Amino acid sequence: MSEDVAAATTVPATTVPATAAETSPDNPWPLQLLSQKLRMHIDRAPSAWVEGQVIELNRRGNNAYLTLRDIDAEISLPASVWTKVLDRQESPLERGSRVVALLKAEFWLKTGRLSMSVKDIRPVGLGDLLARIERLRHALAAEGLFSDARKKRLPLLPHRIGLITGRDSDAKKDVLRNAALRWPAVEFEIREVAVQGNTAVAQLLGALRELDAHPEVDVIVIARGGGALEDLLPFSNEELIRAVADAVTPVVSAIGHEADRPILDDVADLRASTPTDAAKRIVPDVVEELARVRQARDQLRRGVTRLVDRETDRLASLRSRPVLAAPEVMVTGRHDDVERLKIRAHSALTMAVARAADQLDHLKAQVRALSPQQTLDRGYAVVQLTDGGSAPGTHRDVVRHPSQAPSGTSLSIRVAGGRFAAQSTGGQEPTDG
Amino acid sequence: MAAEANPNADIEALSYEDAREQLMGVVSKLEAGGASLEESLALWERGEGLAKRCEQWLEGARKRLAAARDRPAQDG
Repeated sequence: MSEDVAAATTVPATTVPATAAETSPDNPWPLQLLSQKLRMHIDRAPSAWVEGQVIELNRRGNNAYLTLRDIDAEISLPASVWTKVLDRQESPLERGSRVVALLKAEFWLKTGRLSMSVKDIRPVGLGDLLARIERLRHALAAEGLFSDARKKRLPLLPHRIGLITGRDSDAKKDVLRNAALRWPAVEFEIREVAVQGNTAVAQLLGALRELDAHPEVDVIVIARGGGALEDLLPFSNEELIRAVADAVTPVVSAIGHEADRPILDDVADLRASTPTDAAKRIVPDVVEELARVRQARDQLRRGVTRLVDRETDRLASLRSRPVLAAPEVMVTGRHDDVERLKIRAHSALTMAVARAADQLDHLKAQVRALSPQQTLDRGYAVVQLTDGGSAPGTHRDVVRHPSQAPSGTSLSIRVAGGRFAAQSTGGQEPTDG
Repeated sequence: MAAEANPNADIEALSYEDAREQLMGVVSKLEAGGASLEESLALWERGEGLAKRCEQWLEGARKRLAAARDRPAQDG
C-alpha cells in the first residue's frame, strides 16, 4: 500500500521560498512541495491510544472501515483497519462496542487523502470501565473532593428545588409526587436532559451550572432511574464531578438503584438511594413538622407551668411556716413570758407577804408572850403611878413596892379588862408568899 | 433603727429569685429567735412584703401562661 515515492520529481530548491509563510501568489510553491511537507509532518505525528465507541463497522476483505465516536462528545472519526488486527481479539468487535484504539494518521501523497489507520484495537470491557471509575474515584478522593468538610447542609425548607432528570422519566414523576405529598407548597425548577449516551454529560453540566446560578434554587437534585452500567457512566464523568464539587448550591444525587454507586454519589452533598428517597429527604413532611411544632409548644408550656406550680408550692410552704403564718407567736411568746414573769412576781410577792405575815404573827406572839395580858387575864393587875403624862408609850413607873405608893398617890391600875384609876391608902410590907 | 422611710421599698424591684431568697433568710432568722421584739416585727413585715412580691411574680406568670395558651398561634 505504500505509495511509490520515486514518482515525485524533485524540485530545484533555489528559486522556491523556503517556508510556507514566504510563499505568495507570484512566488508560489509547487503543489507537490506542499503535499510532501504535509506528508512529512503527518508521518512524524505520533500515534495515540484513544477511547471511543464503534458506531460503524464494515469489513471488505482483508481491510475494514469503521467510525469511532467520542464517549462524551459528538465527535467522530472514520478509520481503516486491517481485518487481521480486528480479529486478534477473543470477542469479535461489533457496532456499539466501546474500544480503545491506537490510531495513526496517514497522508497519501498522490491523492492528498488523509486517513486514520488503526494499528491496534481492544474492546473496553465492563471490568475495565469499573476499574477506570474506581481509579478516578480514588484520585478524586485523594484530592479531598469528597471530604465531609465540603459537604453543604441541605435547607430544611427549600424555596425552589432544582431538578435535573431525564425527559418525562419515572424518576421525575417520583420526585415530584413524593415531594408534593409531603409539602404541597413545594416548587420545582426542572431541567430535562439526556441521562445517558454521549450528549448526557454536556447537558447535565449545562443544567447544573444554570440551576446553581439560579437565585431561588437552594438545592439541586440529579435524579435518574435504574440503568445498565454504561448508561450510568456519565454520572461518573470527571468534569461533571468537579462541577458538582464546585457548585455553591447543595446537590443531591439520586442515580439508579440502591446498589448503583456512580462517583456522583460520593461528591454530592447528600446521596439518596432512589428518586423517591431523595424527595423524602429534601422536603419535610408538613403534617409531621406541624405535629412536631405543636409538641414542642406543649412541652414548652408544660415545662413553664410545672416551674410556676413548683414555685407556688414552695412559696406556700414558706408562708405556712409559723413565724409567718402566725406572727402573733412573736407577741404571744413574749406575752407568755410576761405572764410568767407576772406570776413569778406575784408568787414572790405573796410569799414575801406570807413571810411577813408569819413574822408579824411571830412577833405578835412574842409581844403577846411578853405582854402581861395573859397574867392580867389570870386576875393580876399592873399598878402604875400616874405622875407621868398619860400619853401612850410614855414610861410610867410600875409599882413594885408599897413604898412607891404611899397613901394618897393616885394610881393607874391595868387589869385584863382595861385600866382604871385608884388611890393608895398606904402600904404594908409584902409577906413572903 | 432604719430611717423612717419604709425599709421595704426595695422589695418592688426584686426579682422572684431574690425575693424568695430573702424570704427564706427572714424566716430562718425569725425561727432562730433572739431578735428583739422591734426587730422581729420589722422582720415579719419584711417577710410579708417579700412573700407578697413572690406571689405577684407567680400570679403574673400564670396570667401570661394562660394568655399565651388562649392566644391562637399567629403564624399559620
